[in-house]
Amino acid sequence: MIMKFKFAIIALVMICTHNVMAQSKTIQGVVTDATGQPLPGASINVQGTTNSASTDFDGKYSLRDIKSTDKIVYSFVGLVSQTITAGNQTAINVKLIESTQNLSEVVVVAYGTQKRAKVTGAIAVVGAKEIAAVPITNAESALQGRAVGVTVINGAPGSSPTVNIRGLSTFNNSTPLYVIDGVTTGNLSGLSPNDIESISVLKDASTTALYGAKGFNGVIIVTTKKGKKGAGVLTFNTYLGSQSVSKRYDVMDTTQYLKYAKDLGSDLTARAAEFGNINTDWQDQIFQSGLMQDYNLSFSNGTDTSSSRYSAEILKQEGSIIGTGFERYSFRANNTQTIGKLTVGSNMGISFSKTNPERSGGGRTLLEHAIKMAPYLPVYNESSLGGYQGPSTIDGQDAENPVRVANLGYQYINGLSIIGNIFGEYNIYKGLKFRSQVSLDYYTSKDHTFVPSYKDGSAHSQGYSTTTENNQWGQTIMFTNSLTYKTTIADKHNIEAIGIIEKTSGKGQNISAGSRYYISDEIDQLRLQDPSLGSTSYEQNNLGYIARVNYDYDEKYLFAVSARRDGSGRFGDNKRWANFYSVALGWNIAKEDFMKNSVFSTLKLRASNGTTGNDLIPNYQYSATLVSSYFYPIAGAAAAGVSTGNAADPNLKWEAKNDRNFGLDFGLYDEKFTGSIEYFNNEATDILFAVPLPASVGSAGGSQFQNIADISTKGFEVSLGYNDREGDFTWSATANLGTSKNEVVDLAPGVTSVLAGPSPRAGLENFSRLEVGQPAFYFYGLETNGIYKNQAEVDAVFGPGQTAIQPGDIRFVDQDGNKLINADDKVNIGNPYPDFTYGLNLTAAYKKFDFNCFITGVQGINIFNATKFELQAMQRLFNASTDVIGRSIVANGVVTNPSATLPRALGASQNWASASDRYVEDGSYARLKNITVGYTLSGTAFDKYFSKLRMYVSAQNLITITNYSGLDPEVARADGNANSAGIDLGRYPQPKSVIFGLDVTF
Amino acid sequence: MKNIKYIVILLSGIFAINSCDTKDLDLTNPNELSPETYFKTEAQVQASVNAAYAHLQTRGLYGRHIFFSLDNMSQENKGNPQLEGNKRPFLNFTFDAGNDIIQYYWESCFLGISRANFVLDNEAKINELPNSVLTQEKKNKFLGEAHFLRAYYYFLLVNRWGDLPIYTKQTIVGAARSPKADVYKLITEDLEFASKNLLADSAEQNGRATKEAAYAYLGKVNLYLKKYDEALAALNQVTGYSLETDFYNNFMDETEHGPESVFEVEYDEKLGVGDKWGSDTGGTGSAEATFRGQEYGNLGWYNVYPHDNLLDEYESGDKRFAETFYVPGSVYNKGASVMTASNFSTSEGNRRAGWKKYQNYYKRTDENQDSSINFKVMRYSDVLLMKAECENQRTGGSQAAAIAYIKQVRDRAGLTTSIAANKDAVFKAIVHERKVELAGEQVRFDDIMRWGLASTELAGTGFVAGKHELWPIPNRETSSNPNIGPNNPNW
Repeated sequence: MIMKFKFAIIALVMICTHNVMAQSKTIQGVVTDATGQPLPGASINVQGTTNSASTDFDGKYSLRDIKSTDKIVYSFVGLVSQTITAGNQTAINVKLIESTQNLSEVVVVAYGTQKRAKVTGAIAVVGAKEIAAVPITNAESALQGRAVGVTVINGAPGSSPTVNIRGLSTFNNSTPLYVIDGVTTGNLSGLSPNDIESISVLKDASTTALYGAKGFNGVIIVTTKKGKKGAGVLTFNTYLGSQSVSKRYDVMDTTQYLKYAKDLGSDLTARAAEFGNINTDWQDQIFQSGLMQDYNLSFSNGTDTSSSRYSAEILKQEGSIIGTGFERYSFRANNTQTIGKLTVGSNMGISFSKTNPERSGGGRTLLEHAIKMAPYLPVYNESSLGGYQGPSTIDGQDAENPVRVANLGYQYINGLSIIGNIFGEYNIYKGLKFRSQVSLDYYTSKDHTFVPSYKDGSAHSQGYSTTTENNQWGQTIMFTNSLTYKTTIADKHNIEAIGIIEKTSGKGQNISAGSRYYISDEIDQLRLQDPSLGSTSYEQNNLGYIARVNYDYDEKYLFAVSARRDGSGRFGDNKRWANFYSVALGWNIAKEDFMKNSVFSTLKLRASNGTTGNDLIPNYQYSATLVSSYFYPIAGAAAAGVSTGNAADPNLKWEAKNDRNFGLDFGLYDEKFTGSIEYFNNEATDILFAVPLPASVGSAGGSQFQNIADISTKGFEVSLGYNDREGDFTWSATANLGTSKNEVVDLAPGVTSVLAGPSPRAGLENFSRLEVGQPAFYFYGLETNGIYKNQAEVDAVFGPGQTAIQPGDIRFVDQDGNKLINADDKVNIGNPYPDFTYGLNLTAAYKKFDFNCFITGVQGINIFNATKFELQAMQRLFNASTDVIGRSIVANGVVTNPSATLPRALGASQNWASASDRYVEDGSYARLKNITVGYTLSGTAFDKYFSKLRMYVSAQNLITITNYSGLDPEVARADGNANSAGIDLGRYPQPKSVIFGLDVTF
Repeated sequence: MKNIKYIVILLSGIFAINSCDTKDLDLTNPNELSPETYFKTEAQVQASVNAAYAHLQTRGLYGRHIFFSLDNMSQENKGNPQLEGNKRPFLNFTFDAGNDIIQYYWESCFLGISRANFVLDNEAKINELPNSVLTQEKKNKFLGEAHFLRAYYYFLLVNRWGDLPIYTKQTIVGAARSPKADVYKLITEDLEFASKNLLADSAEQNGRATKEAAYAYLGKVNLYLKKYDEALAALNQVTGYSLETDFYNNFMDETEHGPESVFEVEYDEKLGVGDKWGSDTGGTGSAEATFRGQEYGNLGWYNVYPHDNLLDEYESGDKRFAETFYVPGSVYNKGASVMTASNFSTSEGNRRAGWKKYQNYYKRTDENQDSSINFKVMRYSDVLLMKAECENQRTGGSQAAAIAYIKQVRDRAGLTTSIAANKDAVFKAIVHERKVELAGEQVRFDDIMRWGLASTELAGTGFVAGKHELWPIPNRETSSNPNIGPNNPNW
């Protein structure tokens, strides 16, 4: 009896002492970054519990109720997180370091964050430091050359760059989805790059599947900077620079032009003498050096329970073409507040912008007119109405004075954009969290154009002033509710599950109005004379149900599965709902015991397979509608007409894509060398395709949208990095290379090929072709084989008696030998997709100096140089490239200069109207996109004024190596659609710029 | 604290419920009407017919390209250096199936046919409307207008292409080409229905097709088919018209729909021209002006000028010369200005003349790229000359009657008439009279073709017999319509 009692007491005491030994304690310490600076705002969390803390301004933290067996995780976005077992320690100091690609880093993924080690899909990340290294105006530009598989093509100031992830998968809009703090939006134009904390690019289905019908083209997630714990930090950034286009086309001067015109039958010597035989360089007239300036102020602070960040930016950019420019004023306020288990917060950004876009005359760009204008005409003429000089019939040509087009009157687009969200998060129970968010994406745009009356010659005049207004507004409201559960079972099984319901409703309206005014040029507003008026509105709603489960065993074996069900108002009743899923697996080989002492600090194999959808087609396409905008004068009044519009397809549905991705991530010598290799194989089906209807069936619009095409896209992505972080001189380099090959697998039943348009020039036939078994929109035209030197050569092809084609005209290859040159002789003359794209990024730092440069390049791409239509076509008298001086001269039916490569002037229309390999060039290039050198002042000497000051000088697009004859091989697409890939429309070339900047932290 | 918690849960609950509402996914287009609910009122029926007229105005037809292509081919025009590359090939017959003007002409016509078919497909629905909404007479008139327009567009097409796909219902499936005899049969049937059901000119609004217009075209079609008796019978129904005493009244904006006008293609710049540079074939939007004046005018773009051969065809004393052409010394701008030689200057030297017909220079010095002058596509003088031709050609016809018709036209031109009363002489007189009376009105090329006079009239121009009588089917059709079949001979 007493023995039993003794045992009981001893057991009890043992239990008690065990408890005493495992009694909770407090652990304190300092968290610093790689340079030893304290890291405020780092988060510390006891694994498997909600016990957490964050560091203060001095990097200090303190955690209570810690047991010796607890594992404490120290993390900070963008840095390598560390897990330390509490053990016997009461003070733990941690140094968190960064890396180019490290598996312990925390990465922003769809609807949350994830440790890099656990990521099973393909994600590229660009951090705030990389974004800040290059002064940019648009956030999308930060991705150029830095995220492998992402191509960015910049346009005019104020316009959003064209971004594409992993090549072409649809014929329609291939813009990726942008998400800013959980708010989906169309582009990043309202966002100041200084406000960005990180950008994650999601490339394969396992990462994008959670976005379901919107994730088809990839997803770009932007996280804005939030407040950091500690006393307020004030930063000021500014830069000042200038940009300009230095390359010019070589066009004829007055002397050469007069001789050329004389050869063509027009003697203009007297006309040129009228103006004093001057020589106007029209290209110099339209290009200018544009001033760029940016001022950015931000303030952030935080306490244990709240954080906030406010920022403001003023950006002003003059374009490199006259009359263009962009201004933006943006404000942002991000706040969070924690009250016990509840966290509430809001992220709000507002921006005002004013854009002066590039103006065009008669549907042609300023550059086209600058090439064609007669060089003996002066720019100005005080005695003409409007003050400019233009051609008259005596000049025999009607190019428009581009300075008049750009500067007479004005056009501006005022925009307002508000993107924001309000959210609440509640920790219901250990590991179970509920989050609810309402977000708003609102914009307005007012486009006002005014042109007063002018008459600069008999060719161009307007006897009245015109005013047009085009106002749009749009809003999208999203409700997102999610439930997350995180738990660890038996210390090894980590499970994370999330369920989301998301509802999006969008609507908007567009009003356009125009009028003329015959009475005066002083009124630049709409008047009731010759009015035109119209408006359209839209409404678009989506509903999505999402679920995802991530499981990993000791971070070694990873498994992720997700599913999403989407309903969209864009599709008809029968096809409204669609389901998407993804499955991914990963194996962290480096964490295995047998790999413990290998050189590999990281070795991960991953594979994923999933589906996404695309609903980016115009609204209301599934229902047949009537068009009510016909007009015909009956009895002196405009009688309205109504008739059938588009041929609709009630079975219209999503485009669907099946992505398969395989990747290998590796890191050697403690992440000194890092790298990853990926292979992707995507199959897109039910691609919406505007099946061209026969012109004779008379369907308005000429085509019907149907889901009938299949495209396959395959490619590799390789990226390698090196970091040398020891000592005073540190440097790192990353190189990446990506390939993407697409092929049209199937078109409509019975259709093996379709000629798509529209052609970039009136008078030039369509040449973009979709054909089964070929890359989408390859160039389709005639093959050339020199110039016909004499009549015998002409007859050899056509047989005797043919007079339309003569000696001096281009000889096209008669592929089928039937003595006719027509569509049957057309072949593949170019592929607008690169063999591969590459980027090389070098960063170095020595004591207080820092250096960054990166090179981007494209290899093996064909560009269709549509500007050759003006430069070399010689279809009628216009100024042209100096190449035409060496054109074929025909006398007595024989070409007198057989070595000429250009045909005769005013030759057969086939010389310019036919799409041929003469227009196609190799567009490969390598470009030094950015080179920056900076110097940082910091330390105790300056503590009174600021804590850090960095000065830098940066140059963009400094050197380009290319064989392309156009102004810029980085051709801007006309729109987000795929069918203008690789076509140089004579648009905004990328300017070179030099910038001086200052970053101050107070 | 607790209150906040409950509030948050309540709000989230509201959000969650809101999220589950699927009714919001059923959306209807607020910008356009739906065909299921259409054809309920007179205004709606009328609007569906109005749409079919709209394609006559497009740049593919009378807005810009039809006069170039036909006047250039007929050698009524010569080109100045600034003539654009897609219009120039019509002068020397070097155009091909990729030419965009040919494509726009084809598309504009077939779009018009489809609009007419929209009305005719719904004939039953229209006829079901109660009398109180729409009287039977009006119903027949509307259907008659649709038939007339379909016939008109097919007539424009058959003259250029011969065999054509026939569409009598709206469809999206391309049809194979039917022989031109079948196309003519459809045109004739449509015009016969129209002639019986359209209102008379005196009862109908300006701009709409009338009974007399239907008869006039019925006559013209039969004349082209060499069915002279049927043609004459139809033309004799075109009554109530007379020749304008002043020839130029036919070509001014202010004197439209005069006593000589049987059918016109309407323009009126005051009704809006905001979309005039929009689609070449679309027909929608306000594009109520034609570019004819700007293109042809010697004070405008002066892309073409009258051929010497045409200028020399006019007899001395023919009043029509001064009303068809401007020469140095011509008065314009309401008498305030006089043309000088430099007004006809080009980089290749001064031209002899410029077009006056369909120019706005009579009242202003600038075309402004907007001309409101309607095209008088059917004038009474054309009817008279057609009657003369029928009388001359038909068995049992009277040369005297033919000469009497010609005399009416020549009297107005201030000329005497003395033609030998034999078939050949009268025919020659008709050939001459049509050339000078209807110069620049897009009839000459069709006349040369149907008379078989290409070898003399188009010698040395590059015209190839057996090929250029017809245009090639445009590439846009052959590449999208697998049923279309082979192209025209030698194309």
